[in-house]
Amino acid sequence: MVLEATLICIDNSEWMRNGDYAPSRFQAQTEAANLICGAKTQLNPENTVGVMTMAGKGVRVLVTPTSDLGKILACMHGLEIGGELNLAAGIQVAQLALKHRQNKKQQQRIIVFVGSPIKHEKKVLEMIGRKLKKNSVALDIVNFGEDDEGNTEKLEALLAAVNNNDSSHLVHVPPGPNALSDVLLSTPIFTGDGEGGSGFAAAAAAAAASGASGYEFGVDPNLDPELALALRVSMEEERARQEAAAKRAAEEAAKKEKQGEQQSSSQDVTMTDQDSVPASEADDKKKTTKHDEGLLQEAIAMSSTPSYPSGRDTNMSEVAEDDPELALALQLSMQDGTKDAPSHSDMSQLLADQAFVSSILASLPGVDPEDPSVKDVLTSMQNQSEPQEKKDEDKASKEEEEK
Amino acid sequence: GYREDEGLYLESDADEQLLIYLPFTQVVKLHSIVVKGPEEEGPKTVKLFSNREHMGFSNVNDFPPSDTAVLTPDNLKGKPVVLKFVKFQNVRSLTIFIEDNQSDSEVTKVNKIALFGTTVETTDMKGLKKIEDNH
Repeated sequence: MVLEATLICIDNSEWMRNGDYAPSRFQAQTEAANLICGAKTQLNPENTVGVMTMAGKGVRVLVTPTSDLGKILACMHGLEIGGELNLAAGIQVAQLALKHRQNKKQQQRIIVFVGSPIKHEKKVLEMIGRKLKKNSVALDIVNFGEDDEGNTEKLEALLAAVNNNDSSHLVHVPPGPNALSDVLLSTPIFTGDGEGGSGFAAAAAAAAASGASGYEFGVDPNLDPELALALRVSMEEERARQEAAAKRAAEEAAKKEKQGEQQSSSQDVTMTDQDSVPASEADDKKKTTKHDEGLLQEAIAMSSTPSYPSGRDTNMSEVAEDDPELALALQLSMQDGTKDAPSHSDMSQLLADQAFVSSILASLPGVDPEDPSVKDVLTSMQNQSEPQEKKDEDKASKEEEEK
Repeated sequence: GYREDEGLYLESDADEQLLIYLPFTQVVKLHSIVVKGPEEEGPKTVKLFSNREHMGFSNVNDFPPSDTAVLTPDNLKGKPVVLKFVKFQNVRSLTIFIEDNQSDSEVTKVNKIALFGTTVETTDMKGLKKIEDNH
């Protein structure tokens, strides 16, 4: 957030026609200059930026330091390339322009683009550097284009003379695929001398580097905090849901194994064990979410057991534990039921087969099937089987009442 | 205390010149000044400008100073320099420009600067009292 007045010095000499920086050295320079303007203005709204050229017909100030970005961008258009770079004069004019800035509280900074051979001596540059230091003017130098050793040496001497507490920087940009502006974004020229950087520079650098935004979910929390928050929350919910599903699946697998064990055990054991099986299966039913499959398993288990009726009646037995009389009654009725059932079934089968009966009667000596008394007996026997059926039904209804 | 400590000094940076700006909290009249420094690197020519803000090394020669003092080794030991009182009647800020030093070395060192004078009569705010309103 340093309050600063910056003057950008553009090299518009003939050497700028060169295309080793895409699309041309001059265009790369203007782009970088525009980026600097934006970054400085964003760092502090009261910052001012000015532009001047060092070559051409002569050193010329195009825009005096102003915070109006539009004016600065407009003046970059229509600049002509020509002439030779005059670094000493350029820097001195820049210093003068800064001296007459409106807001005396602003710190002074000059940013120089050097892309052609420097004709001055090292001593001259050192003197200029010292003067800048005395007047507490910081200097940033962008050395590009010339791989000439002489240039680098002179510029380094200049920087050494100017530098006061690392406020001045020298950046070398070699020719290559990277745009001049992109390389500059990562340098201290943009990052504000390590004060914590400007948001503009950081965002621009991230955008340039990654192609998309470098932020999570592709949304900048600065630009759209609500959207970023919503995305983050939904992502966490999804993750929680997946974890729950995974847990359920694991439980499912464990439960299936348990049920498999139950199936094999239920076929072998007695009634009491089978009492416990449906009970435990009922418990499992509460646990499992896959209700249908559980029921199916249970149905298979139950159908495969031999004494299915007794299994059905186990609920009754649980209830009857409290009441001993009820238990006794149930026991008796069940015994009767079991006893009657086979005898009843046998009898009914036999009696139903009248043809069989009549054949037996015929075989008996002294019995005539046509004899009405014999027929009476036959019908009465059939009737007896019916009352017995009725008796059983009565008993069954009694049982239900007792329940 | 550390005010008289000889080891603590102000040193010039880029070259031998120093420019010091002193704004006052109220208007003062200056009578004399004491500048203490080492015998070798202590200041020699000192120019004083009253009521000039935002001076830089480039415009020190643009207007004449209110007073100029050439310091002797005695002055550097603590002998005050009497100023042209008439020029410092209504001082809000003082700019001290040290042009060179005793031995013409690259670095100028100053130990102490002391100013002697009086305040100008201004309204004493404590004396202001609210008028009793008896209506």
